[in-house]
Amino acid sequence: MKRLDSMNPIAVSALYLCAALIPLVKTDPVLACLFASGALLNLLLYCGQKGGHGFSLLLFFGIALLNPLVSHKGVTVLFVMNHNPITLEALLYGVFTGGIVLASLYWFRTYSHLMTSDKLLYLFGALSPKLSLVLSMALRYVPLFGQQIKKVQQAQTACGLYREDNLPDRFRGGMRIFSVMITWALENGITTADSMTARGYGLQKRSRFSLFKWTAGDIVLLCASLLLCVCSLLLLQNHTFTFYPVLHMTSPNPLVTLGYICYTLLILLPAIIHVKEVLRWRCLTSGM
Amino acid sequence: MALLDVRHVSFTYPLQTHPAVCDCTFSVEKGEFVTVCGPTGSGKSTLLRLFKKEIMPLGDMQGTVLLNGTERDQLDDRASAYLIGYVMQRPEQQLVTDKVWHELAFGLENMGVDRRSIGRRIAEMAAYFGIENWFERDVSTLSGGQKQLLNLAAIMVMQPSLLILDEPTAQLDPIAASDFIATLHKINRELGTTILITEHRLEDVIPVSDKLLVMQDGAIAHFDAPRCVLSRLDQNDPLLHAMPAAAQVYHQTGMHGPCPMTVREGRDYIQTYFDNRLPACDEQSAPQTAENALSFRHVSFRYEKNSPDVLKDLTFDVKQGEIFCILGGNGSGKTTTLLTCAGLLRPYDGEVRVFGKKIRDYKNQSLYQNCVTLLPQDVQTLFLRHTVREELADSRAEANLLPVDLQKLLDKHPYDLSGGEQQLVGLAKVLATHPRLLLMDEPTKGVDAAARRRLIDILKKLRDEGMTLVIVTHDVEFAARCADRCAMFFRGNMVSVGTPRSFFCENSFYTTAVSRMSRGYYRGCVTVEDLAARCLENGPREVHA
Repeated sequence: MKRLDSMNPIAVSALYLCAALIPLVKTDPVLACLFASGALLNLLLYCGQKGGHGFSLLLFFGIALLNPLVSHKGVTVLFVMNHNPITLEALLYGVFTGGIVLASLYWFRTYSHLMTSDKLLYLFGALSPKLSLVLSMALRYVPLFGQQIKKVQQAQTACGLYREDNLPDRFRGGMRIFSVMITWALENGITTADSMTARGYGLQKRSRFSLFKWTAGDIVLLCASLLLCVCSLLLLQNHTFTFYPVLHMTSPNPLVTLGYICYTLLILLPAIIHVKEVLRWRCLTSGM
Repeated sequence: MALLDVRHVSFTYPLQTHPAVCDCTFSVEKGEFVTVCGPTGSGKSTLLRLFKKEIMPLGDMQGTVLLNGTERDQLDDRASAYLIGYVMQRPEQQLVTDKVWHELAFGLENMGVDRRSIGRRIAEMAAYFGIENWFERDVSTLSGGQKQLLNLAAIMVMQPSLLILDEPTAQLDPIAASDFIATLHKINRELGTTILITEHRLEDVIPVSDKLLVMQDGAIAHFDAPRCVLSRLDQNDPLLHAMPAAAQVYHQTGMHGPCPMTVREGRDYIQTYFDNRLPACDEQSAPQTAENALSFRHVSFRYEKNSPDVLKDLTFDVKQGEIFCILGGNGSGKTTTLLTCAGLLRPYDGEVRVFGKKIRDYKNQSLYQNCVTLLPQDVQTLFLRHTVREELADSRAEANLLPVDLQKLLDKHPYDLSGGEQQLVGLAKVLATHPRLLLMDEPTKGVDAAARRRLIDILKKLRDEGMTLVIVTHDVEFAARCADRCAMFFRGNMVSVGTPRSFFCENSFYTTAVSRMSRGYYRGCVTVEDLAARCLENGPREVHA
């Protein structure tokens, strides 16, 4: 099996969606804990230390503390604030929800790190080839438009469009530049359209080419993700956990434990692939 | 059977009384390389567009166009789209998608070719054109030359029998342009693809062409092998200025023997027919005024904190009342220098003074009133209005500010003008601020030979009226004709400065065709006029019997 970032985007997306789906549909602190630790581990393995955590942590504490302030369900009253009871259950539910949100953020941060623009296009292309072409053209035109605005801005500054350094003058100049950019975009659109028709666009149904292929490894990954996902959902279907009015969990049995193991495997798949790859290279380079 | 057979074709645009193309009859055989030339507005592009029905302009057409023996309108859509490949002038606007590989696959996807074959064909093409190294890059990271090469490859991947190119090198620098022509020659020679190309810059393309088609006012003036056409041209034909330097020298020195077309043939020509008793041209002297119009002192600049320096400890002066040309390769910092002069970029170290005053001390946009102005590389960026008249009125420019007549352009949209005309309107617009220092970036890009000559006259006139000009250009022939001093940029620094004669004679590669032709025989010749004068002064070579 190859590294995750060179695997088929559909297989990778299936893995990420399956692993995120289960803790979202099953209210279960154990799953949430597994999800959060898996997400954190992946983040460290794939993205390293880069990127801030401030926003995510703020969100976590916000949700955790806000829930007991607005929800007064639950029986264990901790204290009363403004004639409103603050309950232990609501606080724990807040921590649980915040944890799920935090874990999802980390989980999908790794995902967006893996999914570059061409991989996303490939995914959309699987839905509709037309959509994929439109997106590809948009991805090209948005930066081009930005560059041209900058050039026009410079050219106009140097030939004295702005009479003085003040806000109204800047605004008037900016408006005129924006309006000429529309003309520019339309004018260039004609050339692009000519170039497309000259290459036979719209004559028949398009086929679709991409650099991504399906290898045996991709299929194994896709099947493993789906299988583990279905297994853990089935095994855990009778197992419930409730926060309100009191914390309650159905007593665990071997099937439930097996379900947790399935989910653990699923959440650890990216890490397993990563470690396997590191070990393989270590063996190769050490000549074993 | 000819691949392309054109019989009595005329074409008139709607609401026009004069036909743009008038009774053209010619044919192109399979595997030929045909160059179409003619002044701007002679109907070259219109003629070429008539061959491909998908992009044919609207209007009234008479006559017949046969492709491979079938009439153009009888061809089915698929055959017509894939028989002829069409490359246009502007590299940027022809690209459709955001990735290089996707652009290559685009045409084949339209044809409905299956995945596996697409993979094979684009791999083949990428290897043939040498674009494997940037196969997965974003197209926005490519240089102009690479973009145009990609456009060509994206069309060649569809295996057209006839390749039509409408001024493909107009927006490229001369080095990228000659690489592009060399690639076309390779395609023609190795794949046997028939090529029909229009060009302004004929120095490189004429020696590789089989036929030269000259258009004049919509009609075909000449259609023959290049050497025959060149010797048949009238000596005062303005089109001659666009021809290879060797052919120009040939015309100005009495036309002995067959017409030379390349530097090597030109060399043989002067050494066979002319003596070299008086080998040296006069020295040019640089203007000696004391005042600096512009001075750079130890200027360093980089775009981002961690990016490499674009300008490295750059120091130079430009005197008042001179034309100072900056030459150099792509990415050597020429345009950055110009933007720094215009106060649009701020160096992190060093000092820039304009007319003795630090650029930072020009407050409240005063730098751009009666002092400095910039004519950017992409002149279109100057235009904000729908007609030239509004454009000029807007910046309070007078149409008579320039020694040329802009009257007939006044009611056109600025985007509809030719490259040379846009350059003139842009110039009129920036001159309205009455600058004392005019900065120009690549003023000859997309401009034909006649317009280039006119531009040189205008710039010299402005200089004589006391204006200082700093011009960044790739065009060595232009710099040789118009500069008082030339400077060479290399990796963010100025490596040599001098008068055009001393500058171009010291360079051995980055120099004019005439300088390369006369090297070792005459000294100090850089323009066609220099060399012709030298030849005539020396007189015919004595044959020692």
